[in-house]
Amino acid sequence: MGLFQHKNTSAPKSPQEEATDAVVNYIDETFKDELRAYGRSYFEKIIDDTGALFQQDLNSTIGQVNVQLQSHVTKQLDVAIAQVNTQLKERVAKQLENQFAEYNKEMKQAQAVALKTLTDNSEQLQAEYNDLRTTLQKNVADQKVTLTNVFEENKVRIAQMKEAQDLALKSLNDSAEALKTQYAEINDTLRYNVANQEAILVSAFENNMGKIIEHYLLGALGDQYDLKAQLPSIIKQMEENKEAIVDDMKL
Amino acid sequence: MSEAAAKTHENFVLPINVVTKIDVSRLVSEVERVDNDMTASAVRNKTGSSAQPQPVLSDQLNQFLNQNKLVLDTGSHRSAIIKELRLLKNKAPVLHMTFAVTADIESLQKLTEWVRATIHPQAVIAVGLQPALVAGVYLRTPNHVHDLSMRSALEGRHGLLVDELEALRGGK
Repeated sequence: MGLFQHKNTSAPKSPQEEATDAVVNYIDETFKDELRAYGRSYFEKIIDDTGALFQQDLNSTIGQVNVQLQSHVTKQLDVAIAQVNTQLKERVAKQLENQFAEYNKEMKQAQAVALKTLTDNSEQLQAEYNDLRTTLQKNVADQKVTLTNVFEENKVRIAQMKEAQDLALKSLNDSAEALKTQYAEINDTLRYNVANQEAILVSAFENNMGKIIEHYLLGALGDQYDLKAQLPSIIKQMEENKEAIVDDMKL
Repeated sequence: MSEAAAKTHENFVLPINVVTKIDVSRLVSEVERVDNDMTASAVRNKTGSSAQPQPVLSDQLNQFLNQNKLVLDTGSHRSAIIKELRLLKNKAPVLHMTFAVTADIESLQKLTEWVRATIHPQAVIAVGLQPALVAGVYLRTPNHVHDLSMRSALEGRHGLLVDELEALRGGK
């Protein structure tokens, strides 16, 4: 392959065509590749540089935009907030005014109802008070009459009781005097009777003293002798009465 | 038999342990029982039955039979004894003796011995109890009463006791 390998021999060419052919012949594939590689690297280098610059510019731009946007947004927000506040205040004030008006209306109605109720109750209380006063006055009058009657009756009864007490006291005094007299008489009689009884008892004791002592002796001696101990005495006494016994037994 | 036949209720000798009339009645009942037993035994012997044992006699009956020399071998003897004992029971003189304390059998036997030796050989005693007598005996024979008790003796001296007490009271 040489530079002239593809030389056209057929017809003469114009200089432009010849220049083009020369360029084509001169710039073969290898050269193209070299150019292509060179261009690529160069292009990449430019892109990198441009990208860095662009990145730098972009960052600075973004930062600036952010600052501006922030300030703008802040300003817009302040405006909007102020506007919203104004509107809100107006709306709230309006609503409050409406509600106050409504409340005032209802309060007036309630006050009117309450006033009416109080008036009614007051009238009713007044009526009841009048009734109670009348009833109380009547009861007081009745009680007064009753108490007066009871007092009069009790007065009479107390007088009667006092009279009865006087009579009872007089009777008691009389009875006490009579009892005192009877006591003195009974005392004398009792003393007389006691003296008599004492004398009778002493006399009876003296009369029966022999029997009493005899009974005591009999009781004291009786338990100390059994029949064996008495046997000699019995036989002796029977011996003394032997004849009488024998005579009776023979009959 | 001849000796037994000679014995009558008038000459029966009562042993010392036959004291009261109840004892005599018991003698009569026992002899009657023995007579019945022996008669029945004799009849059984005649009919060929086995011999019956001799009846057991009490001490009172034994002594009575021994002292009077009596035997109960024949029916006629037993009948005669029963008859005489019944007569004795009805005719024996009874001496009622009331004591202040319960009478023991030994004292009663001694009294019976004295009574039979002194009063009547066939006398029996009827015993009574009266604590109010204090001591001594209240003796009752068929027609008389002999109060030989201490109560009677003290009653006889009642006036003397009162006089003594009066003298003692007056001395004080």
